[in-house]
Amino acid sequence: MAAAAATAATKGNGGGGARAGAGEASGSRKKKSPGPLATAYLVIYNVVMTAGWLVIAVGLVRAYLAKGSYHSLYYSIEKPLKFFQTGALLEILHCAIGIVPSSVVLTSFQVMSRVFLIWAVTHSVKEVQSEDSVLLFVIAWTITEIIRYSFYTFSLLNHLPYLIKWARYTLFIVLYPMGVSGELLTIYAALPFVRQSGLYSISLPNKYNFSFDYYAFLILIMISYIPIFPQLYFHMIHQRRKVLSHAEEHKKFE
Amino acid sequence: MDLSVSVVARETSQGLGPVFGLNGLPRPMPPKTIKKPKKAVLFFEVEILDAKTREKLCFLDKVEPQATIAEIKNLFTKTHPQWYPARQSLRLDPKGKSLKDEDILQKLPVGTTATLYFRDLGAQISWVTVFLTEYAGPLFIYLLFYFRVPFIYGHKYDFTSSRHTVVHLACICHSFHYIKRLLETLFVHRFSHGTMPLRNIFKNCTYYWGFAAWMAYYINHPLYTPPTYGAQQVKLALAIFVICQLGNFSIHMALRDLRPAGSKTRKIPYPTKNPFTWLFLLVSCPNYTYEVGSWIGFAIMTQCVPVALFSLVGFTQMTIWAKGKHRSYLKEFRDYPPLRMPIIPFLL
Repeated sequence: MAAAAATAATKGNGGGGARAGAGEASGSRKKKSPGPLATAYLVIYNVVMTAGWLVIAVGLVRAYLAKGSYHSLYYSIEKPLKFFQTGALLEILHCAIGIVPSSVVLTSFQVMSRVFLIWAVTHSVKEVQSEDSVLLFVIAWTITEIIRYSFYTFSLLNHLPYLIKWARYTLFIVLYPMGVSGELLTIYAALPFVRQSGLYSISLPNKYNFSFDYYAFLILIMISYIPIFPQLYFHMIHQRRKVLSHAEEHKKFE
Repeated sequence: MDLSVSVVARETSQGLGPVFGLNGLPRPMPPKTIKKPKKAVLFFEVEILDAKTREKLCFLDKVEPQATIAEIKNLFTKTHPQWYPARQSLRLDPKGKSLKDEDILQKLPVGTTATLYFRDLGAQISWVTVFLTEYAGPLFIYLLFYFRVPFIYGHKYDFTSSRHTVVHLACICHSFHYIKRLLETLFVHRFSHGTMPLRNIFKNCTYYWGFAAWMAYYINHPLYTPPTYGAQQVKLALAIFVICQLGNFSIHMALRDLRPAGSKTRKIPYPTKNPFTWLFLLVSCPNYTYEVGSWIGFAIMTQCVPVALFSLVGFTQMTIWAKGKHRSYLKEFRDYPPLRMPIIPFLL
């Protein structure tokens, strides 16, 4: 879901060009482009994020080559992963102050779901860090984000290579389910440890008359993937048809 | 219309009088618009197009210039009975604002053939129905938890009663609050709009009923912990709650008195002799201010986090509404008192 949401991304991070925005208004919305200072800032932001995820990608490859196996690669990219994924919180700010024409609510939802997986699941439940499912979503996210941030960078500079546009609207077909699988398997793997340790849970009686069962909460999260994933996925498929057929026509006239 | 023909016809007519002509057959009646009455009545034509497809849905001719949008909506329903007036949004521009029911045809910026665009607002439900349903739920649901109906808490607690006074007090306050709301819906409020979209009832009921169940679960739980500062805290909270309930009711009455029955007039609300209404000096929507106050009181009384969260969510929503209302007041009335804030005096 976090993988998909980011791919199904809102218009995010500025720039014109077709957008697979789950938050995108139909047709008639005026595309207000950000001022020159905001554009410069957004270009820098997107370049930095592209670079960051490239660092993670390279880190994964190097660790794989060094270790000779694909198990437990999380530890080698843990820090940049946390840094750059958490940094994406800025995108909520970008929408809030209007330099990016996306819905704040939608952007918050997708960034928070990523941040939740990184911190509230993978970081908090140390036992899952060696699971292969973690690698599954990290790879999905890494490829998605490299393409997404470079897409935004090029769009802002008004020079979007068709290859990037194609990649963004095609690779999700595989990466989305891959990421979702990785996320769900990781949460599932965390369950017994959460149950055992009572992580983030509070029970009655207490003076605030409140209780929270993190185990039940995680199960609810997993269930929520069922309605949300298909919606986002098919929205992306729909966007793909719109964007790529439109681009094809344009190419004819070049 | 061709006036010359009928003038000629009148001058040369002989025949058998005004009704029957030369050949004994009835004269054709001259078209209404050609008669020269002292006051000329110029009828309008109204064509209604679908706002999205621009398809011509209806053509109304001989529409009185004094006709209101409400009357036009009724005429439109005759040809399309599935779209009752409450579902219709008619506008001058397909992407523009909806016209009001009270708007008069000839006062609109249209020629004698008016083109209106129609949008289907979807199935509608009356505000009264929505309010009654969304308020009756919490009243009933809370009592299920209060009486510890089976399958909520462990079986050994079925139908038992809490030993804490504050729990009984909380039930009285919560029930009073929703009974008050139901009675106000039936007897006090005067609604500007008759209806809202049907899907709102599901959204609203989920919110009210869901939170009521969540709060009631903890307050009536066998392991409930009474407030840290005991009776003092409860008394203070109760005072806040009662004052805010009275305040909220006073504002509802004051707002009702601003608007005569059956009308949709809008006036600036002002403080009355009732001291609770003096809050109008400082805020546009004191009813919301008092409502937030009531729930804060209830939260302090029960010392329960879910109640505090409910208050917070409610406060957020009411602030959005208050800001909107405040903005419309400012737009509509040039002499709107400048000291007033939307919901919190001096702050928000």
